[in-house]
Amino acid sequence: MSGDANTQPAGADPNPSRDAQTADQAAAQPTKRSRWRLSRRGFLIGAGAVAGGLALGYVYGVPWTRLQLAGVFEGAEGQPSRFPEDPWAWFEVLPDNRIRLYLMKVEMGQGVHTALAQIAAEELGIAWEDLDIAQATTGRDMGDSLMTSGSSSVSGVFQPLLEAAATFRAMLATEAAMLLGAPADQVMVAGRGFAVQGDPARRVDFAAVATSKTEWEAPKEPVAIKNWQDYSVIGQPRARVDIPAKVTGQAIYGMDARLDGMKYGAVVRPPTISATAKSLGAGAAAEMAGVVKVVVAEDFAGVVADTRTAAYAAVAQMSTEWDLGHPWQQAELEAIVTVDGRDGIVIQEVGDASRLLGEETTVTSEYRTPFAIHTPLEAQAALADVQPDRVRVWCSTQGQGFVRAEVAKAIGVDEQIVEVIPTYLGGGYGRKAGWEVAIEAARLAQAAGVPVHVGWSRLEELRYGYFRPLTHHQLAGRVDAAGNLLAIEHRQASGDVAFDFLPPLMTAVMGADFGAYRGATIRYDAPNKRTVAFRRDLPIRTGWWRGLGLLPNTFAVESFIDELAHAAAIDPLAFRLQNLHDEGDSGRLKRVLQAAADLGEWGQPAPAGRARGIAATVDVGTAVAMVAEVSVDVTTGKIRVHKVAAAMDCGLTVNPDGARAQVEGNIMWGVGSALIEEMTVQDGQVVPANFDRYPLLTMKEAPDVAVVLLEAGDGVPRGVGEPPIGPVAPAIANAFYALTGKRVHQLPMNEARVLAALA
Amino acid sequence: MNLRINGTEREVAEGSSALLIYTLRDELGMTGAKIGCAAGFCGVCTVLVDGVATRACITPLAVVEGKEITTIEGLAQQDASGAVRLHPVQQAFIDAQVPQCGWCMSGQILTAAAFLQTNPAPTEAEVVAAMGENYCRCGCYHRIKQAVLAAAEQMAAQVVAATLPTEVRA
Repeated sequence: MSGDANTQPAGADPNPSRDAQTADQAAAQPTKRSRWRLSRRGFLIGAGAVAGGLALGYVYGVPWTRLQLAGVFEGAEGQPSRFPEDPWAWFEVLPDNRIRLYLMKVEMGQGVHTALAQIAAEELGIAWEDLDIAQATTGRDMGDSLMTSGSSSVSGVFQPLLEAAATFRAMLATEAAMLLGAPADQVMVAGRGFAVQGDPARRVDFAAVATSKTEWEAPKEPVAIKNWQDYSVIGQPRARVDIPAKVTGQAIYGMDARLDGMKYGAVVRPPTISATAKSLGAGAAAEMAGVVKVVVAEDFAGVVADTRTAAYAAVAQMSTEWDLGHPWQQAELEAIVTVDGRDGIVIQEVGDASRLLGEETTVTSEYRTPFAIHTPLEAQAALADVQPDRVRVWCSTQGQGFVRAEVAKAIGVDEQIVEVIPTYLGGGYGRKAGWEVAIEAARLAQAAGVPVHVGWSRLEELRYGYFRPLTHHQLAGRVDAAGNLLAIEHRQASGDVAFDFLPPLMTAVMGADFGAYRGATIRYDAPNKRTVAFRRDLPIRTGWWRGLGLLPNTFAVESFIDELAHAAAIDPLAFRLQNLHDEGDSGRLKRVLQAAADLGEWGQPAPAGRARGIAATVDVGTAVAMVAEVSVDVTTGKIRVHKVAAAMDCGLTVNPDGARAQVEGNIMWGVGSALIEEMTVQDGQVVPANFDRYPLLTMKEAPDVAVVLLEAGDGVPRGVGEPPIGPVAPAIANAFYALTGKRVHQLPMNEARVLAALA
Repeated sequence: MNLRINGTEREVAEGSSALLIYTLRDELGMTGAKIGCAAGFCGVCTVLVDGVATRACITPLAVVEGKEITTIEGLAQQDASGAVRLHPVQQAFIDAQVPQCGWCMSGQILTAAAFLQTNPAPTEAEVVAAMGENYCRCGCYHRIKQAVLAAAEQMAAQVVAATLPTEVRA
């Protein structure tokens, strides 16, 4: 493997001041699109357009989610994908006989470039060093209508990427056989070319094959791919291709994008969450030192200046009048997000739970979770260069295709002239699925006539994005004398998660917000179970935050399962195992529960002053369980998480070390959300303006972690980036109960709530 | 005003940016030092000033005039043959596959490098105390801790090797 996307001139062109005309940017020219043609099997074949000759993209193997979305979107305005011309990956032979793979998935630390490279390398059959990875811009219409999100990057493209790699190799091999005058079945990959088996002197390089003709056909029959038991690259730990650049300061992120002659922008922000502008004016901004341009529009006002400092200083001098709207307080918002009324939507119904849950022996409980902020350490950032015939936007984004469409709309140009160049992301976590900063940079650049970089401040990042919404959960359950779940119900209320991003038609069809109820349904066996989602409208933007509803819902459900176990006087692990069956996902859940218990020394005495709790979930097909070992300082109320032992079955693991890293990171997120993170609203404004009021977990509070990976044994990869965020908080809550006999029903379990629970 | 950065004199406009981080990133185009909070909380902007880990986002230019500034771009050394030799902390961060998104890593690595200069043989608790004020949103804390301890061992081994007589080294 040589280098990665954002450190080399091709592909993302991370250092635009070089202004290299890269292969990908050349492909971006709209007039050249006619060169690509769609083959019968969903491949896009381009020849002669690149130095190395043959290029192959695929639009093949559309994941079901995309088809489903497309179906719902049909006829709706703003259809996100213009497939079939929306390739998911693109292979090229380079002049030096290496093979380059352009990827539409962005690298935000999840290791996706390395994992996808492993998948491609498996079927290309070339040496790891001979595969080159580049970030695709939107220049090939590689928009990625699903974004880099939802833990879907590996699972969603696994099969089509294997098939595309195999097909690319087969097309080259067939031609190589012709050139070598040998039977096709005797021509093998040898270094950076092909050779005749048993006669290594008869060889031809990849580039020679690729440039040998200009008209290519995809094979008539599907090319056979390997049986998963025979994989030799997939499943092996690989050093991440993006890491060397990240320890030497060479990696380029959206906040780092620079272009000769560029200026810096800043934008006026409303003073409250419900504010509307009565008037926006330049005020004294134009007279400030270093100001290049003051921009005032009906719905937008900002400044372009020589330096970032000057831009922010000038924006503060603009004349603005606001209708502040209602001065929302936290208690009002919590009252809104409350389970009540008859507007719930049943999302799981087995048997008749409500008939049984009116009895006296029913256990009931309720839980709440707070607003949370993604707060990537790299705030929103974009650099825009708006020319009359060409617009380029370098951006830290999880959804470059959406950025492209929204920028085009905002500045009134044809989408075909807009190219979005994704950089590395300094954290995404769902927050960089937005496009506000790209629009701001583009509008300012268009008005000022120079390239403009906008990089949000920490205050902007904390206050002006969208948030994980408040949630409220009511649960009821009954267990029979033998410890079997008889009936269980989960009623949950939440602000919107996915719905704020979807067209009204789609939300009307769906009714309940799939993001909000992610993780809400009951996985345990019970003849009667019911889950009801209540959608609640908040006066503040809420949206996707790592795992969406998974963390809040798993906290509620897995805390409550513990309550049922204790009410039935059964060990919480034994209770869970008893109420699961051995087949399918249920069986996988059992196995990860047992594996986490073994790793976390469940059933053995904890060190003095400590206790253990267990929790588990299945999310995007991945089963994950954790055992947390905690202590509490009863004077201060501070919970200390000493260890978290995790077991995960994500099916086939492509890069085991990368998967472990995701589990470790999710554990830290979970501990932070469990103990610390809480955004509140006061007098109509988000309280935190910096980290003093929204502190993150540090190494001082970080637990020791141990991770074991299990395999489903079916050769199918599942998601990894989010599922492990689910069980952390309930494992901690359950450990706290085991330690103290008390339960904290609201996140975060901070000092005040712990002391209140202990009182 | 002249600043000495990574061994090179750089001329910067006096007062054009009040703070070192903006001078580095926006004027000199040295984006290896990152910006996170502009208030000294998170540590992603950490650089070395005369070997001391310093938060560039709250450091006025006047304070660093005449001092040796080291950023992540200048931490690796070139050996006699011109090949780049990573600092042991950088190498340890690769070996342990520490970074995820990587945005905090310049600050983590420079904080660790400065710490190991003052405490070459730290305990785990001392590492946690030294690294405990640097945020990593991706949550790489477990690996950062392991990598800093590994770098300490590596540096100690190098010191031992350097003090051995030449014939033993060979």
